[in-house]
Amino acid sequence: MDSIPILTIEDVANIDAVLQDYLQKSESDLAVIIDKGGNVISQFGDHEVMDVTIIAALAAGSFAATKELARRIGEVEFNALYHQGNGSHIFMNSVDDDTIMITVFGKETTVGLVRYYSTSACQNLAALLRAMRDKPQENFFHFDASDIAASAMMEGR
Amino acid sequence: MSIINYASKEIQFKIVYYGPALCGKTTNLAYIHSRINPDNRGDLVSLATAADRTLFFDFLPLNAVVIKGFKTKFQLYTVPGQVIYNATRQLVLRSVDGLVYVADSQWDKMEENVESFKNLEENLAKQNINMDDIPYVLQYNKRDLPNIAPTNYLEFLLNNRKKRVGSYEVVSSTGQNVFAALNAVSQLLLHKFNKESEPTRAAGAPAAQAAR
Repeated sequence: MDSIPILTIEDVANIDAVLQDYLQKSESDLAVIIDKGGNVISQFGDHEVMDVTIIAALAAGSFAATKELARRIGEVEFNALYHQGNGSHIFMNSVDDDTIMITVFGKETTVGLVRYYSTSACQNLAALLRAMRDKPQENFFHFDASDIAASAMMEGR
Repeated sequence: MSIINYASKEIQFKIVYYGPALCGKTTNLAYIHSRINPDNRGDLVSLATAADRTLFFDFLPLNAVVIKGFKTKFQLYTVPGQVIYNATRQLVLRSVDGLVYVADSQWDKMEENVESFKNLEENLAKQNINMDDIPYVLQYNKRDLPNIAPTNYLEFLLNNRKKRVGSYEVVSSTGQNVFAALNAVSQLLLHKFNKESEPTRAAGAPAAQAAR
């Protein structure tokens, strides 16, 4: 699978710049880039009140679940999904074969505006992700044996 | 596939609990959720039917310790065990880093255990993952029930590959050995993470090498 195992500070800054511009233009609250396995790649916006990790896992599931539905009408998959709420809504679209962008927005904007600006944001992100995948991966992080032993999760309470 | 993020200083790993229907995968996650300090975990999300059967998956995000300034995050998933939900199992297995295979120790579940293990191998193969390459441990669950197979029989059925893995006698309803199995698989995958970063460090990080 073509995933992105290592994100440098520069990679994240580049992605965040695209997301910031997109959020401003579309007047949305939060944008999250995830892989189709449900892992968060980057996020930008107001995410204090939401558990982004859980939103990512559920959004990846939701995206995957509709794939079969798409196939029944002759599509490979739907490239965008919209969940409409009363005050808050979620729009998701494919960035590339492995990546999804989730947008959370409220009453300040409309789905049309979000959809319009998300297209160019996704194109810019796809180009960034392609460049990240193509460059050699340099990982300087290494666990020591003692770190690994110390990572054991404790049963409490 | 683990993700290491140098900006947020986080490393994410995905661990999937796999096994036949009603073997106790969700019970494992519920026990872990109940025993970990809320500061170090998120909510347990269950997508289940009215009868509490897992329809899609259960999901529990955990924060392990901070190592060298990096937060280590484990995302625990279960799969639906029922045979008909194989497409869903394949989706949940996407970018998996480690596995806990939960077997039901009751005699009448042996066929289902073997079938589900075979199904796991097939589903991993579809992602080009070999069972010998992915970190996993075995849980022999429900050891408190009367009609259970001895562990050496379960070992013969499920742990007779060239590479033997760690196996745990578990009672997921009371939590016996639930954390032992989780910690075993998390340590295995951290060791694998280290091993995989070796070639890149050798080629791309002479400074880091010299500092060792």
